Amino acid sequence: MIVAEQKPLEEIRRMIIPYERVLILGCGTCMTVCDAGGEREVSFLHSALRVAQAKSGNETHTFSEYTLKRQCDPEFLDVLDDKIDDVDTVLSLGCGIGVQALAERFPALPVLPGVNTSFMGMAKELGVWDERCAACGDCRLEETAGICPITRCTKGILNGPCAGTKNGKCEANKDMDCAWVLIYKRLERLEQLEKMRRYYPMRNFRAIPRPKRITSKISVDVVDVGEDNG
Amino acid sequence: MYPLVADNNQGYQDNRAKKIPIDHSLMPPCQAACPLHMQIREYVDLVAQGRIMEALQVIRSGNPFPSICAYVCTHPCEDACRRCQVDNPIAIRALKRFALEFGGDRMIQAEAETRHPEKVAIVGSGPAGLACAYYLRALGYPATIFEAHSELGGMLRVGIPQYRLPREVLETEVQRLTQMGVEIRTNTRVVSLDLLFDLGYKAIFITIGAHQSLRMGIEGEESPGVIDGATFLREVNLGLKPSLGNTVAVVGGGNVAIDAARTALRLGTHKVNILYRRSRDEMPADPAEVEQALEEGVGILFLVAPTGIKRENGRLSVTCVKMELGEPDASGRRRPTPIRDSEFIKEFDTLITAIGQAPQTPADFHVSIGRGSTIQVDTVTLTTNRRGVFAGGDAVTGPATVTEALAAGRLASSRIDDYLQHRYPLVSKEGSESVSGDLLPETIEMIRKTGRLEPPILPPGKRRKDFKAVELIYDWEVATNEARRCLRCGMGAEILFQDKCATCLTCLRVCPYHVPYLDASGTIQIPDDQCQACGICVAECPAKAIVLRKPYDRRQITEELDHILKSAAQSNLKPLIIGFCCQYGLFGTGTLASLWRGPKAGTWLVPVLCVAKVEADHILRAFEMGAEGVFIAGCGEQCARENTAFWVRERVEKVRRTLVQIGLEPERLQAFVLSTTNEDPAEGIDSFVEQVGGLYLASVIMQEVKS
Ligand SMILES: Cc1cc2nc3c(=O)[nH]c(=O)nc-3n(C[C@H](O)[C@H](O)[C@H](O)COP(=O)(O)OP(=O)(O)OC[C@H]3O[C@@H](n4cnc5c(N)ncnc54)[C@H](O)[C@@H]3O)c2cc1C
Ligand code: SF4
Ligand code: SF4
Ligand code: SF4
Ligand code: SF4
Repeated sequence: MIVAEQKPLEEIRRMIIPYERVLILGCGTCMTVCDAGGEREVSFLHSALRVAQAKSGNETHTFSEYTLKRQCDPEFLDVLDDKIDDVDTVLSLGCGIGVQALAERFPALPVLPGVNTSFMGMAKELGVWDERCAACGDCRLEETAGICPITRCTKGILNGPCAGTKNGKCEANKDMDCAWVLIYKRLERLEQLEKMRRYYPMRNFRAIPRPKRITSKISVDVVDVGEDNG
Repeated sequence: MYPLVADNNQGYQDNRAKKIPIDHSLMPPCQAACPLHMQIREYVDLVAQGRIMEALQVIRSGNPFPSICAYVCTHPCEDACRRCQVDNPIAIRALKRFALEFGGDRMIQAEAETRHPEKVAIVGSGPAGLACAYYLRALGYPATIFEAHSELGGMLRVGIPQYRLPREVLETEVQRLTQMGVEIRTNTRVVSLDLLFDLGYKAIFITIGAHQSLRMGIEGEESPGVIDGATFLREVNLGLKPSLGNTVAVVGGGNVAIDAARTALRLGTHKVNILYRRSRDEMPADPAEVEQALEEGVGILFLVAPTGIKRENGRLSVTCVKMELGEPDASGRRRPTPIRDSEFIKEFDTLITAIGQAPQTPADFHVSIGRGSTIQVDTVTLTTNRRGVFAGGDAVTGPATVTEALAAGRLASSRIDDYLQHRYPLVSKEGSESVSGDLLPETIEMIRKTGRLEPPILPPGKRRKDFKAVELIYDWEVATNEARRCLRCGMGAEILFQDKCATCLTCLRVCPYHVPYLDASGTIQIPDDQCQACGICVAECPAKAIVLRKPYDRRQITEELDHILKSAAQSNLKPLIIGFCCQYGLFGTGTLASLWRGPKAGTWLVPVLCVAKVEADHILRAFEMGAEGVFIAGCGEQCARENTAFWVRERVEKVRRTLVQIGLEPERLQAFVLSTTNEDPAEGIDSFVEQVGGLYLASVIMQEVKS
């Protein structure tokens, strides 16, 4: 799941200055799960912005709120068709994908990001999320006993551990488990320690072109016809 | 600081505007077990909040003679109460009595007007007859009660002893019937129904009870000195003082036997022995009554049955046999069988038989009689074989209880109404959807164990002397604390908007009682029979997908805030301070009561049913409305629910951080959750109010300096 954090209120307030009518738009999927932009947070931000405005005394925004099931596919955005005419901007509490989906779908509408999209990960416990995957496009978890060194090792090395590991912790962050010690222990348990002894060649990150595209279509080519973006 | 926000800026699909009025609460087991289906959970909750008058209203709406039930009901509700699985059931009957006494039930006047011409006759004035008359009058029918005895009440008058049901209580209730215009004919035994029809009655309700004592069928039963329990109690209750001698035996193990024994003691008998043919576990009498009888000095001989009586020298020589218990019989109790050669003889002055009663219906009624001499009726329409003749109460069921008789009377009134208005009876689905199922061990483990708090009773020494009521009334604090033990079965959380649920698992993780779970298909479920209705998950769900099943619980905070906004705008007292105050325990009834009654200048209180239901957004909204300061006051460690104070602190911290970002002092928001009993919350709140006052003054001065 995608994990994000709501932007500081000051930053959000600065972003909305040029716009009078602001629609705060939540996302009912990942952003709800990570507490950054579900319906509850949309409401809370809405109230916070109104208190701040009342306090400042010289702003005249009008706010409205809405939460979509998801923002990252254009079909979900159809319900906004008759709503965006009444607003000057959408403050999206969706992740970066959601913001861009909105921008693509509504070419003439300014869209503002209300969260900092941070990583892909999972909840460690209530209210705490940890990164787990870097979406590198070349998954090696089979070799590393299901523990990703690229995200969980501070240095992202493929042939760990480095010399800095101490008592199972990372030298860069003493509170953090060393990913390679975790990998070692799990391989030991799985009786696959021979995987530790192999050498894995460096990966050439530069060779991966961006933006990536995946297609599961078999018969038809996807052609980008000159997108009309405003 | 800033003006009240006047424009109510409505958003799309704005939750602020959305109201969900549907009541999805399920019937709790206590209510399902009550023959009258009284709204027990609701009035117990009102007692817990100290809202006694409202509790009384709820009680009155479900029971024609609640003060009678408050004394003598056999409380099947308590047997069904789910708190039994945790420790002991809620003291429902005693709480009802508390609400009636403190709520001033005596003062309530009843009235009714006649809207229909059809007269209805009621034969018998026991609880069934009284209830039927009450509701028929409320429906607008002229009703006449015919009673063979000189006074109304049936077994309430001539059966149940005064120390359990003071006669003033009965008197007050009966008085209401007269106020309502019920015609009363005492000393009038009805012998023929045709006569009543000739007198112009269009319908007749027979509630003649079950007054014929069953015979033991042993030799010597007719001897002088042998008397049946119902007759004995009737004589005492009608003011006679039968002479019993010094030693009395009572045969039987039900409530009548216990009542007869305790009454005999009160008449001055030295020694009273109950002879019961099974053991204590099988006794049908209420265990609490048995206990009280033992305390008063009644002796009980278990596994003993009389087999013959001889009268010698003015005394009774009773042959008894010892019994042993065999296989369970049809009633589920183990069948007693005599032990061979175990006979022994005991001497008594008087022997009272109390082994059961049966109805005795005059043959001229021409109604068909079934098993155990009971009158046969159609279970839906309550009609007998005769047109326009209905029957109910003990006469139909055999000896039962007061509340069952009341329920029968109430049902009969609506069936008679249906009959007179030529309607097909509406069969209500009451009781169909009640919460069932056992609480899970992990849920039980987390429920705070607070033992049942009983009202005081007279010490045994004092009780024996006269017929004064044995049970006293709760004091206020004990009653509210007892009421707070209720688990509020069936009114818990519900995922009302499944489509919104993101399956984030927050509810599963925050619930102190381990209620929500992820089912095999990956959907979150909140089982209605486990939820403790604490409201924590409702406030924490990031998708706002969960609501509490009672709309009352859901809407209250938002509505109160709106209300305060209007009142505050009118009063214009500064500075505006809004306090979210728990209504249970201390704040409902205790120290903060003065704050409730008349808010201090500028301080407005939002009553909440536990601070766990105050969401971070509610707090911000209070500021949005122009509050200079906001506080939350709740019970903390004294809360009946788990973890509530923790969540209050979490939310307060979250809002405080936001206040700082906005440029407001975090001290403007304060939580008062009590950790010990001795803390004085009023003091803390007073100094908070002062502090906010200071901040307000400073900001006013700043403003003036600027301009
Ligand atoms: C000693 C004793 C203690 C009890 N204690 C409890 C208790 O603690 N809790 C509880 O819930 N229940 C108790 N009960 C049971 C309860 O009292 C009865 O179930 C209830 O009163 C039945 O009500 P009813 O209206 O059907 O009949 P009853 O109360 O028996 O009333 C019938 C009335 O009809 C009158 N009547 C009979 N024939 C005629 C006629 N032909 N014409 C005119 N009037 C007539 C009778 O005089 C009587 O007044 C007790 C019963 C007894 C005997
Ligand atoms: S918009 Fe972003 S946060 Fe929302 S569902 Fe799509 S990927 Fe997840
Ligand atoms: S706990 Fe409360 S709601 Fe539940 S059965 Fe007992 S009295 Fe009724
Ligand atoms: S907290 Fe709300 S969104 Fe999360 S699983 Fe529970 S019901 Fe669903
Ligand atoms: S209301 Fe309380 S007890 Fe019920 S599911 Fe939610 S958190 Fe658990």
